[in-house]
Amino acid sequence: MSATATRPETDYLLRKLHSLTGIIPVGAFLVEHFWSNSYALVSQAQYDAKSQELQTIPFRIFVEWAFIFLPMLYHGGYGIYIWLRGKANVSAYPWVGNWLYTTQRYTGLIAFAYIGWHLYTERWLTHGRSTYADVENLLRNPYALAFMFVGVVASSFHLGVGIWNFLCKWGLAATVKAQRAAGALGAVVGFTFSLVGVLIVCSFWLNWHPFDFYVK
Amino acid sequence: MAEAKQVIVRIKRQAGPKVAPYWEEFALPWRPAMNVIICLRDIAENPVTRDGKKTTPISYDSNCLEEVCGSCAMLINGRARMACSALVDKLEQPIRLEPFSKFPVVRDLAVDRQFMFESLKRVNGWIPIDGTYDLGEGPRMAPEIQEKAYPLSRCISCGSCLEVCPQVNDNNQFIGAAIVSQVRLFNMHPTGAMHAKERIQALMEPGGIQDCANAQNCVKACPKDIPLTESLAEMNRQAWKQALVGWLIG
Amino acid sequence: MRQPRIIVVGGGLAGLMATIRVAEAGVPVDLFSIVPVKRSHSVCAQGGINAAKNQKGEGDTTWKHFDDTIYGGDFLANQSLVKRMCEAAPGIIDLLDRMGVMFNRTPEGLLDYRRFGGTLYHRTAFAGATTGQQLLYALDEQVRRHEAEDRVKKYEGQTFLSAVIDEGGVCRGICAMDLRSMEVKTYPADAVIFCTGGIGAIFGRSTNSVVCTGSAQSALFQQGVDYANGEFIQVHPTAIPGEDKLRLMSESARGEGGRVWVPKNPADTRAAQSIPDGERFYFLEEWYPKYGNLVPRDIATRAIHRIVYQEKLGIRGQAAVYLDVTHIPKETLDRKLEGILEIYEKFLGVDPRVEPMKVFPAMHYTMGGIWVNAEDQATNVSGIYAAGECEYQYHGANRLGANSLVSCIFGGGLAGPAAVKYARNLEKGAESTSASVYENERKRQEEKNQALILPDGTENPVAIWRELGEVMTEHVTVTRINKDLEAADVKIRELQERYGRINLSDRTKWSNQTLNFARELGNMLILARVITLGALQRDESRGAHYKPDFPERDDANWLKTTRAKWLNGEIHLSYEAVDISQIPLRARRYDAAK
Ligand SMILES: Cc1cc2nc3c(=O)[nH]c(=O)nc-3n(C[C@H](O)[C@H](O)[C@H](O)COP(=O)(O)OP(=O)(O)OC[C@H]3O[C@@H](n4cnc5c(N)ncnc54)[C@H](O)[C@@H]3O)c2cc1C
Ligand code: HEM
Ligand code: SF4
Ligand code: FES
Repeated sequence: MSATATRPETDYLLRKLHSLTGIIPVGAFLVEHFWSNSYALVSQAQYDAKSQELQTIPFRIFVEWAFIFLPMLYHGGYGIYIWLRGKANVSAYPWVGNWLYTTQRYTGLIAFAYIGWHLYTERWLTHGRSTYADVENLLRNPYALAFMFVGVVASSFHLGVGIWNFLCKWGLAATVKAQRAAGALGAVVGFTFSLVGVLIVCSFWLNWHPFDFYVK
Repeated sequence: MAEAKQVIVRIKRQAGPKVAPYWEEFALPWRPAMNVIICLRDIAENPVTRDGKKTTPISYDSNCLEEVCGSCAMLINGRARMACSALVDKLEQPIRLEPFSKFPVVRDLAVDRQFMFESLKRVNGWIPIDGTYDLGEGPRMAPEIQEKAYPLSRCISCGSCLEVCPQVNDNNQFIGAAIVSQVRLFNMHPTGAMHAKERIQALMEPGGIQDCANAQNCVKACPKDIPLTESLAEMNRQAWKQALVGWLIG
Repeated sequence: MRQPRIIVVGGGLAGLMATIRVAEAGVPVDLFSIVPVKRSHSVCAQGGINAAKNQKGEGDTTWKHFDDTIYGGDFLANQSLVKRMCEAAPGIIDLLDRMGVMFNRTPEGLLDYRRFGGTLYHRTAFAGATTGQQLLYALDEQVRRHEAEDRVKKYEGQTFLSAVIDEGGVCRGICAMDLRSMEVKTYPADAVIFCTGGIGAIFGRSTNSVVCTGSAQSALFQQGVDYANGEFIQVHPTAIPGEDKLRLMSESARGEGGRVWVPKNPADTRAAQSIPDGERFYFLEEWYPKYGNLVPRDIATRAIHRIVYQEKLGIRGQAAVYLDVTHIPKETLDRKLEGILEIYEKFLGVDPRVEPMKVFPAMHYTMGGIWVNAEDQATNVSGIYAAGECEYQYHGANRLGANSLVSCIFGGGLAGPAAVKYARNLEKGAESTSASVYENERKRQEEKNQALILPDGTENPVAIWRELGEVMTEHVTVTRINKDLEAADVKIRELQERYGRINLSDRTKWSNQTLNFARELGNMLILARVITLGALQRDESRGAHYKPDFPERDDANWLKTTRAKWLNGEIHLSYEAVDISQIPLRARRYDAAK
């Protein structure tokens, strides 16, 4: 077999890369991000300590760009390109998978806008030194608060559906049964992340720290 | 007897590939066990619209009339269906008939599905045999493999899975679930497996398997209940493995 | 050396096999078909394909297959070629297997075989319940490969109109019409192989597909290609009547205990389930107490016809009787008959587990067809070959189940190389035929179209076709009575005369299905007469041809092939001897069959 015969084409690779970036690093980052932010549920101090730790990792700029910004830009940009080449038809075929297909696109877009705004307010305006107080301040604005809720839920939903998609589309869940299980996993992830996300936002909004007994 | 029951059929008509479509409505006498083909035949016998206007018979494709040739696919009440097995009594009236939207219209309800046959060519959709002369028996095959492969071999190339797929449209020439599933079938056969790589390679060209976005409409629309999502997943796995190996060691 | 060019018309099993063989010989092929070849009628075959592989150790041999075929065909088939087919059959199965047909398997990984009618052996290979579809696809894929490698060019969506025959009576190509642009064109070729399948549409409704009209066979007949044994038409006893098609209902419904009956009062309007037992007429059980509902196919068929047409006892005056399985426990039905009961439910929307099925015999297959020689599928016109259901060679007076698919593939496989050999040996090929020969044929066909499109006639082609189907089904299928056959012929001639005043509801120039249908109808009418006249002449009963006035097989007078010729615009019947060189004649006992 000649060498070129098995070498995949660019279109294929770009598409697979999009899919892969959805999980690693973008999905993984989302997980990490939710995790570190959930320190707000403990206390303001814990949150700031955690933020400080993350803000002072070595090679920060490099890590941010290589593992977060670029992959996210690629996933988002190429995601929009994919979106434009599809043609949703849920009104004619209102089936579950088809609904997920469509919402995957809208939630991706919302996530994109949200993350852009989020980065602007928390990373750019604060010069990478965002603190609990910054977030709290921001959320005094009801629009910002609403957008925060929407963005968090959309991102979680997108990740949940994305996990299901990913498992099906890489043939990791190949039988109907396995795909059903993958769907359940996606649903659990989507729901859990939405819940945790909402709780974190509430924490800032209401100054509510349910785990503060750890540090009392 | 009460007033004679009628079947109302609205049909999207189009005189040729490049002209504008229009709708016509027909009122037909109801009979038991009518299907959509019978309605179209009624109209052919007496091509008069509901408001008494003379018109031409409807162009459409059909052959086997038992859902095994794949000719008669069309949109019935907005859904991709086979006309020969679409029973009037199970359809909401007025029954709306439209040609498939993802294939070029030839005339009225007849469309050109050559794209699918060309795709089969693209993916080497055959078992390459040395010749038709006598070379003895074929390879043995476990009944288990046959039981998996047989359902795949029942694809009638109707195009329903392409019609309902959001990824198949003017901007995106996705090859479609049917063809991916056929590749899986050929790759399962002991002789076909010897040439699996070439078929998978073809599946990774632009418009190939990567364009599947997992909306999973295909499997719902398939009149032959072919496990298309399993085929897509299975071929996706074969494809990225091959791609990875190809990318790493060329 | 001159490179010949060959045309194959028809892409069912026979046509595809012929195409593959020609392409394999290195000769380019133009393949014409009305429907994309993958949608040909061969997809409808469900049961299987015969070959004496003796896979079950029953001592089956190709000779026994041969004997069953000849006996089943009531000794009307020419024996030498049938023998060759039966000998080739195991090799054909091997070939199909190599091509990737997903035949059912035994635990050892070998092909599984089932038993079919007319034999004691497990001789029928099958792929689920869609054998014909699987075989057609395998051949279609091989042809696609040749197409991708530029040895085959497909002309799908084209209908054959006529052969181009030069002054010397040699075929030099065909004239065909594009069913989209309606353009009529000629295509030169050194030899043409016809594989245009069945003729069901002549009987209005049948188990056949829509394009099985016999139009091509009839067109050829009118150009001097003889037609043989037209009167032998196989009728299947139980099909699901439908206004559009009669869909096959397998014999296994009766095998599992299904009972056939009609209400004693044909005007009874009650639902079948609520008619009490005493008011039902189980005519098969009453007339044939010994075999009951399991009488052989042809007897069941005749009995049902008698009930409907002579006794006028069809359900509510319709041509239908009940096939009742409602008394059989549901779990038995679901276990053993699910597949076939689903077909009924799918197309009628009625659950046969609850409500008795309505069935009626249906025209199923033509044993007769284009006359071909006993060596290599050549017709009596040089350069024209035929294979598959459209020719007459293999089944005599009655076809055995699962024998058609094998005859199609064998015949196609024979015709391909024969046409290549003929074309290579031609001194002058199509390239030296004068252009006027083609142009004249094209004009002739174009004029026929114009004649149909232009006049403002009064006759509706669909109505003529319906009447043709009715008269053919009533008088020229199961039970044949001479005075009825005469009446049928009168009726067909009347229809022909009305055909002359046809009125097309569509006169457009793009994808005009009405025009094409009208052309086919003209041809169907002529072939209908060939069948009717053949049946009228043959005063005996043999195989599927049954005349109550002549209930016995008459070898002294009728052991001969009917050969219809078209002379000066009229049908002439002549007869020729049957080759019985291998198996001596013996009586065919229907009642001993079970
Ligand atoms: C319901 C049913 C079940 C059956 N089951 C079995 C079975 O189990 N076993 C068995 O052995 N047999 C079976 N048979 C019989 C068998 O299916 C057919 O005899 C066989 O398939 C015929 O094949 P063919 O190649 O001759 O023609 P077809 O498959 O009919 O193909 C004819 C081809 O000719 C083309 N054509 C026709 N007219 C023209 C024209 N004018 N111009 C251009 N192209 C034209 C068509 O487009 C088509 O491609 C069954 C038949 C029926 C109806
Ligand atoms: C919060 C950040 C994001 C995460 C965690 C994420 C994650 C994922 C994951 C895991 C997938 C599934 C991969 C696959 O389809 O195989 C996916 C798919 C997708 N994502 Fe994202 N994504 C994010 C942001 C975005 C953005 C900003 C867009 C842009 C609109 C986007 C558009 C898409 C699209 C269109 C798909 C579907 C691709 C397909 O169907 O083939 N995503 N995403
Ligand atoms: S896979 Fe199903 S829907 Fe798609 S073409 Fe084949 S039969 Fe039709
Ligand atoms: S006519 Fe063949 S599938 Fe409907």
